[in-house]
Amino acid sequence: MIRLSGIRKSFGRQEVLKGIDLHVGKGEVVAILGPSGSGKTTLLRCINYLEKPGEGEIRIGDQALDARRAGKKDVHALRRRSAMVFQQYNLFSHKTALENVMEGLVVVKKMSKDEARKRGIALLEKVGLGAKLDAYPSRLSGGQQQRVGIARALALEPEVILFDEPTSALDPELVGEVLAVIRRIAKEGITMIIVTHEMGFAQDVANRVVFMDEGVIVEEGPPAQLFGNPKEERTRQFLKRLTPEASYTI
Amino acid sequence: MEYGFDITYIFDFIPKLLQVLHLTLAIVAGAIGIGLIVGLLAALPRLYKVPVLQRLSQVYTSFFRGTPILIQLFLFYYGLPELLKLVYIDVTKLPVLFFVIVTFGLNAGATISEIIRAAVTAVDRGQVEAAYSVGMSGYQAFARIVLPQAIAIAVPVFANLVIAMLKETSLAFALGVMELTGKAQTLGTLTRHFMETYIALAIIYLAVSFTLERILLLFERKLQRHMRRDAADAERRWRLWRGRKPMRERSPEVSGKEVPRYEA
Repeated sequence: MIRLSGIRKSFGRQEVLKGIDLHVGKGEVVAILGPSGSGKTTLLRCINYLEKPGEGEIRIGDQALDARRAGKKDVHALRRRSAMVFQQYNLFSHKTALENVMEGLVVVKKMSKDEARKRGIALLEKVGLGAKLDAYPSRLSGGQQQRVGIARALALEPEVILFDEPTSALDPELVGEVLAVIRRIAKEGITMIIVTHEMGFAQDVANRVVFMDEGVIVEEGPPAQLFGNPKEERTRQFLKRLTPEASYTI
Repeated sequence: MEYGFDITYIFDFIPKLLQVLHLTLAIVAGAIGIGLIVGLLAALPRLYKVPVLQRLSQVYTSFFRGTPILIQLFLFYYGLPELLKLVYIDVTKLPVLFFVIVTFGLNAGATISEIIRAAVTAVDRGQVEAAYSVGMSGYQAFARIVLPQAIAIAVPVFANLVIAMLKETSLAFALGVMELTGKAQTLGTLTRHFMETYIALAIIYLAVSFTLERILLLFERKLQRHMRRDAADAERRWRLWRGRKPMRERSPEVSGKEVPRYEA
């Protein structure tokens, strides 16, 4: 389980996270929604300590970390309990798909190369890339790259996988294949926190949806409730702007 | 004319000059070796913004990049022993070659540190974050993710440096080192056939730099294989290059310069 308490973060004078409390249970899939600039990506990056929170406590499993007195070791221990899937995939471009997945296993988990290779192959097959093991990222489509990114995260067997807008950089026709993979692993009971703009997907996959705006959690609840009958006015307005019925005149 | 141009001298001089080729190559290899170590050491404080060392590295780089190498050679050869005498270290017995290699090495180091700095900065920051997210330490992320890619980016520029260094070694002759140019000068003086010695000398420099260029290109190809757009194309290029097929068989897109593709 993951527990965030009182997470605050400022960039210069601007406070982007104004004391976030969030609890995610084991096996839960939580989707974070919100307009851009609401701090949702920053929150996700704080969990992995890619962004250093100003204050607050992050707990993943039995590893707790207080932002005000976090040493290198604590950060390292925390990071080993989570894995991240990035908006821009961020694959290691000098390594093949398989090597990308193996890297963390061999270097961080000190697994033997043979064992890592076996697991890497199994995972890439799972995300439908069994035929692309030796391809470099530059030869893969965005959707394929993101699926390698997901396999890389899965390989580490983290307690939670953090997805940072995993489909935002993809061409529309490639979004489906990535969402299908995430949906499949969600069913396996892996704890996930997903920052996304895909409303339908959030509704479909998440156990709980969190709506953020201006650095605070405005509302959270099961998708049916949050989408069907939001309590807060801000949530309602946000959803209204994104409903598929909205028509655009070009 | 008593000492008229005689082409046979060229053929006669080439093997004689080749006898000292190892000296020239030793200067290049030694200088590049020292340069790589010093260059990396000088680049790191500037990349990681280490307070005092960063300044020192800047001073070092601007000195070696801002003064002619010939002056540097004189300063090191005549100045360093005097300076070290003050702290009772006697280096006057050391061979000239030592001073030459150290000077060229420090000179190369200044350029290499700039090359490394530019190349490291060019590596996608997102991949470093990915490395951290996988659980790597800062050192692991640098050594396993950033450095290999930075090297691949730097190779073409580095190749230029090696070739330039090869030609600059001719300045070692100013300190009396009998490398290629020094030897040629002696042969010219002895035989009075300067033109022939210089032609022979030019041929040797050209052959060596051509060979070096090819080796470095091979290196570049290997290190940059992940930047290739598609495997079949890369494979074809590789075969063509090794087979030395005539130019006209290379289709335009094969001989065109690579552009790494970045996905939005």
